[in-house]
Amino acid sequence: MSEIETTETVATEALSQDYHDYLDEDGMIQADPRLMLGEENKPEEITTKDLMKVWFRWWWCNEVPHSFDRMVAPSLCFGLMPVLKKLYKNPIMLGEAYQRHLQFFNTQAVWGGGIISGITVSLEEERAKALNAGEDAIDASMIQNTKIGLMGPLAGIGDSIDSGTVQYIFIALFLGMAQEGSWLGAVLPFVCFATATFIYGFLFTRMGYTMGRRAALEVMKGGKIKSVISALGVLGLFMMGIMAGRYVTISTPIAFTMSGKEFVLQQTLDGILPGILPLCAVLGLFFFFQKKGMKVTQAMLGFTAILVVLGALGIL
Amino acid sequence: MSVMQALLIALFVAAVESRALGYATLTMRFSPLMAGFVVGLVLGNMPLAMTTVATIQLIYMGVVAPGGAMPSEPCIASAMAVSTVIVGNLEPEAAVAIAVPVGLLGSYLYQLRFFLNTFAITKMDACAVKADSKGLAFWIGFMPTLFSFVLFVPLMFVALYLGAPVVSGFMDTISNGPVLHVLSTVGGGLAALGIAITMHVIGNRKLLVFFFLAYFLQVITAQAGITMITWAIFGVIIALCYGMFTEKAAE
Repeated sequence: MSEIETTETVATEALSQDYHDYLDEDGMIQADPRLMLGEENKPEEITTKDLMKVWFRWWWCNEVPHSFDRMVAPSLCFGLMPVLKKLYKNPIMLGEAYQRHLQFFNTQAVWGGGIISGITVSLEEERAKALNAGEDAIDASMIQNTKIGLMGPLAGIGDSIDSGTVQYIFIALFLGMAQEGSWLGAVLPFVCFATATFIYGFLFTRMGYTMGRRAALEVMKGGKIKSVISALGVLGLFMMGIMAGRYVTISTPIAFTMSGKEFVLQQTLDGILPGILPLCAVLGLFFFFQKKGMKVTQAMLGFTAILVVLGALGIL
Repeated sequence: MSVMQALLIALFVAAVESRALGYATLTMRFSPLMAGFVVGLVLGNMPLAMTTVATIQLIYMGVVAPGGAMPSEPCIASAMAVSTVIVGNLEPEAAVAIAVPVGLLGSYLYQLRFFLNTFAITKMDACAVKADSKGLAFWIGFMPTLFSFVLFVPLMFVALYLGAPVVSGFMDTISNGPVLHVLSTVGGGLAALGIAITMHVIGNRKLLVFFFLAYFLQVITAQAGITMITWAIFGVIIALCYGMFTEKAAE
């Protein structure tokens, strides 16, 4: 080890090839960048096929090893593995890269995962090539900070668009078929959502790779994506309006006879504004969530209790 | 329900909850529909399975999992509730009363899975430092899947095989006139919950006007039998118009 510290131009062979010699007190490899020099360590080119591999592996593994302490970091590491193997031919450098991508990470699969895995591939490639050429390379911590910085905002966008809007637009579209007893009502939303997200997730991966860190900025600030998001919002709310009118069935059976004339409350309500009761229920809950945040369990239990009581009393 | 049928449904639930079918499991886990479909297929009563699961879907609209954990597990809830309804040939409304508590319990199981996965982490670290790619892939991809199957298959099997007939018999005895009325009130009303959650997730109050537009269009044309696909086409056209006009304004 002393040779490394004393001579600048030490041959690659003279560096230790045992990872134990590079471990810091936390058990993390702090590899000597000179391990990357030499023709045998030359990183291979990254192709579109590699990006597809990364996306598919991440897509498959996305939630499998989810845990409390690292969240979905191992999934991203699993996705990046084929690319890291092509970039870091030296096992110590590869081990360092694996360790780097096992650190805490959590994001949404398509918007976050797609874009971030693309960006990470481009940064790792840049770093590996520079190290191999003996030039100044991107610092490993910069790659990590890029991932950490982007994961939250992109997950926010992805959760509300994919799981919150796109998924429910597909479900709303085919729910009628399910209600009539057709199996297509279950299979079609599943197939449509899985196919759509797989395709645009891969496009995000490619975009992240070609644009690097600018890709994330494009998504978060870019005008085009912003108008796509609000157009999806319009469609989503429109479909929820149809759903509410069609499937929320709250009506009152209250009826009595007053001085020989029959009085049916629901008819009176329909005369004023058709569908007023379901509308009140939806809006009441909506404003509850807007005010108190997403307290789903609380709202569900409370609202069920109200419905049970009113139903049992014969008011609903 | 035979041993084989209970086992098949339990295996499907484990495959979804382990997330071992990739991101495709998102709809399978967040929505009860696919679990209902599998139960219908295995128990041989697709029409009843689908009408039942459509009722459950309405209360689970809008379920999202920021950070991975959800307040309820629609897949587990649906596997249990739809099985129970088919075994006892109950009214679809009865499914709601079974799905809600089962779904809440299911969410604890899913969190237990996160806890079990932490045991694989030390092994991953050990493989990573040695640049052992095979070992790393094994501990990231295979072992957590196995943990989930060990967790979910036996529990779901017992719940379905022993639990479903008991719950079904119990529901059958109480589901007379007044109780069934309460259940269908709850089912029809809870649909409002999922819709409100979805609206909250979309989150843009400025766009709420499009909700009102659609709501009253649907209410006044209820008798006309306009299909969901037709409404979706209108929705897309309106969304495109909105995009065009706002783009103009932004320029």
